[in-house]
Amino acid sequence: MPRFELYRPSSLDDALDFLDKHGVEAKPLAGGTELLVLIKDRRIPLPKYLVDLSRLKNELSYIRDENSYLRVGALTTIWELNQSILGRDTRYAGFQDVFHGFATMSLRFTATIGGNIVSATQYSDYITLLLVYNAKVKIRSINGERIVDLDKFLLDKRRVDLEPNELVVEIIIPKPNINCSSSFYKFDRRRQLIAGIVTGATLLCMDDDVIDDVKVSFDMVREKRIPGRLIGVEEYLRNKKFSIEEINKVSEEILPREIVRVSDWWTTAEYRLEMSKVVLRRNLIRSYERIKGGT
Amino acid sequence: MVKVKLYVNGEKRELDVKPYERLLDTLRYRLGLMSVKEGCGRGECGTCIVLVNGKPRHSCLTLTATLDGAEITTLEGLAPKGKVHAIQVAFLESAGVQCGFCTPGFIMITKALLDHNPDPSEDEIIEWIGSVLCRCGSYHRYIEAVKIARKYLSEGKVFFDEEEVRRKYYLKIIER
Repeated sequence: MPRFELYRPSSLDDALDFLDKHGVEAKPLAGGTELLVLIKDRRIPLPKYLVDLSRLKNELSYIRDENSYLRVGALTTIWELNQSILGRDTRYAGFQDVFHGFATMSLRFTATIGGNIVSATQYSDYITLLLVYNAKVKIRSINGERIVDLDKFLLDKRRVDLEPNELVVEIIIPKPNINCSSSFYKFDRRRQLIAGIVTGATLLCMDDDVIDDVKVSFDMVREKRIPGRLIGVEEYLRNKKFSIEEINKVSEEILPREIVRVSDWWTTAEYRLEMSKVVLRRNLIRSYERIKGGT
Repeated sequence: MVKVKLYVNGEKRELDVKPYERLLDTLRYRLGLMSVKEGCGRGECGTCIVLVNGKPRHSCLTLTATLDGAEITTLEGLAPKGKVHAIQVAFLESAGVQCGFCTPGFIMITKALLDHNPDPSEDEIIEWIGSVLCRCGSYHRYIEAVKIARKYLSEGKVFFDEEEVRRKYYLKIIER
């Protein structure tokens, strides 16, 4: 392990003070399951200080159910997320899908939701899902706080709208109506410890058999190397009657126009596109079944 | 150097560690707990899994200096002196061990699983033990081992006499 100093703030204010003084040469350390690997592999410039956030656990680990929002503390672990309302309520069913495909069980006890979002990898499962919920990110510094839409917070692969003196403290999830449910698929060769050659999420809201609202996201949409929403697909489906014909049509005709698929070491763009169609169809059907089945 | 107080397998340890020292190195090379092994060193293989405050943790991705006051359990601390834990017996009985390198990781994740859920389904067993890689491919035997351990623990059999187990399975005592 390369050498660095460790600062262990005792409170959020203490952490923000330290980041304000040493932000450029410091990196906040949450679960460490990503950051320590990046440091070990020397894939990021070696920071002089790591700011260990573990003593802020009581302050920044929570899931609060408020009137129209769920507020999730940035240090909430993936395991804790699944122990909350996000692990049982039909409106958040996609969170269970993400949980069961996230890294391995043992890492889910350590990795945090805040760390996952700040890492901003192109196949981040939680980012892909949170985008369909229109999630927001709450950021604090000694100068105050600001709230940014998640899709604006993500600038590009491993680049987020965060100053060196700032810390992500909360993820805000607007609560969907009772007639909504979500689904997330990660398509790859095995179930665990895999990035996914295609990942996609949907949030579907039904008014009887008519699609009241729908949000669709995929990894790497358009020119960006981070997950994004498929606005054209959403517009096409809105106010349509839910039917297999429409789902086939949107995945065959609209989806390919909205999405950029790449060839790389793992697979080809053609295969990725075909699997993206499958993922979209499965997500829409599974969301629909969850709303109708109420499970 | 950072001062930390740890409770390792029930014993209080006060250590001066470097800020970048990994829990893996502290346990294996400072405290001589040889069940904690480095496989990949990046949180993928799970052979370094220990319990920190009852939760599974990859010791290769944990800085010791961040754990002040924590309770740490390794395979060595699973049973008191002269006893072996039901999970260890279950791994013997299922003949789960081939080369044995990954076995401590599997036993620790099994402990975490059965602490969190005393009656896991086969799917849950697979999801949990998927945290550890076994390149001999003993997974099907490990699944059996978890089921045997589940049975023992549900019957209240937590610890077995070490002498008896060694005699029954022809295990020699290796002097260190």
